[in-house]
Amino acid sequence: MALYPDFPLSTERLRLRPFTRGDVDGVFAYRGRDDVARYLFDPPLSREECALAIQQRTNQTGFLEEGDRIVLAVETAEDGNLVGEVSLIWRSVEARQGELGWIFHPDHHGRGYATEATNALLELGFGAADMHRIYARCDARNEPSWRLMERLGMRREAHFREHGLFKGLWDEEFYYAILRDEWLSLRHA
Amino acid sequence: MSSLRLPIGTDNLVLRPFKRCDLDAVRRYHILPSVQRYVERPTRYEEDVAAAIAIMCSQVDLHRPGETLTLAMVRKDDAVLVGHVSLKWSDATAGQGELRFAIDPAHSGKGYLTQALTAMIDLAFDHFRIHRLMVRCDGRSHHSIKLMQKLGMRLEAHYREHALFQGEWDEELHFAVLDREWRPNAKVQELHARARVA
Repeated sequence: MALYPDFPLSTERLRLRPFTRGDVDGVFAYRGRDDVARYLFDPPLSREECALAIQQRTNQTGFLEEGDRIVLAVETAEDGNLVGEVSLIWRSVEARQGELGWIFHPDHHGRGYATEATNALLELGFGAADMHRIYARCDARNEPSWRLMERLGMRREAHFREHGLFKGLWDEEFYYAILRDEWLSLRHA
Repeated sequence: MSSLRLPIGTDNLVLRPFKRCDLDAVRRYHILPSVQRYVERPTRYEEDVAAAIAIMCSQVDLHRPGETLTLAMVRKDDAVLVGHVSLKWSDATAGQGELRFAIDPAHSGKGYLTQALTAMIDLAFDHFRIHRLMVRCDGRSHHSIKLMQKLGMRLEAHYREHALFQGEWDEELHFAVLDREWRPNAKVQELHARARVA
């Protein structure tokens, strides 16, 4: 199954669209920050690294095979401000599994943008991409992140303690997941 | 790492490396679907079991990450092989290990796995200096779940329908224990024993 959705995906206040070369400054504004990078695998990115990342992302707009990812810029519908990014990775074709991810600029936190944008991606995952289960992970100390997953109706499936090292320290990690049936019943509730 | 001394004795068992002549005993349980779930490669036929034993025979120590130590559980009284336990050293930097086990259903329910796994956990933490040990099991395997709880392992993960196994949605549990959580009183007991000898 190949999936190349029509963009942008629109929500009440947001537009989710592929990245373009003009997004470098907008992405650097949040990916360059220490507080944003704290729980990400990457360290804070330089402007050049942001430009490279965006170059990759301009092609990450569809699913053709396992491991493919859709990475979208999130901008406000009203004034086109870039507020963050969301991603959906096709983790298993056979078992129809996906992984959800998001990064938002701290200046735009607390307005429900992340909830709105990730909800749109769950809709894409369970809808057009026909996934059976979508999961997401976060550092156990990253409370805003797991609170968001709970708002989305995801269940905490795993709490790993010291199962690896992360940035030189013992890692503690949460996994959250939602099954298609659970998502459907939430939507109809 | 100091040299490993085998076999290891428990109350009722001897844990020793595998031998090629263990084929008949291993075949009794290795081809069962419940065992197949966690073996590295499927063993549907006798030839497969023989190949699996050849691998298990070579897994006699841990020298580098990625290696596995596999020991046969042999009953002291009558030298009957009742199952096996293995320890995989999965990561050196973070000191991670994974335990696996299988028992012949004809010999389950007698506490053999509790003895064997306790000995393997001791070995992992004391001898191999592992930091965290984990065990995976099927969400429907009530015996394994009870066993993990009895050993004092924490439930860390409960995956639902995260993969397909033999055409069915899979449910998988992860249990784990950290070195400092395992027998936190062990040092006190050691001191006590020494005082008594003196």
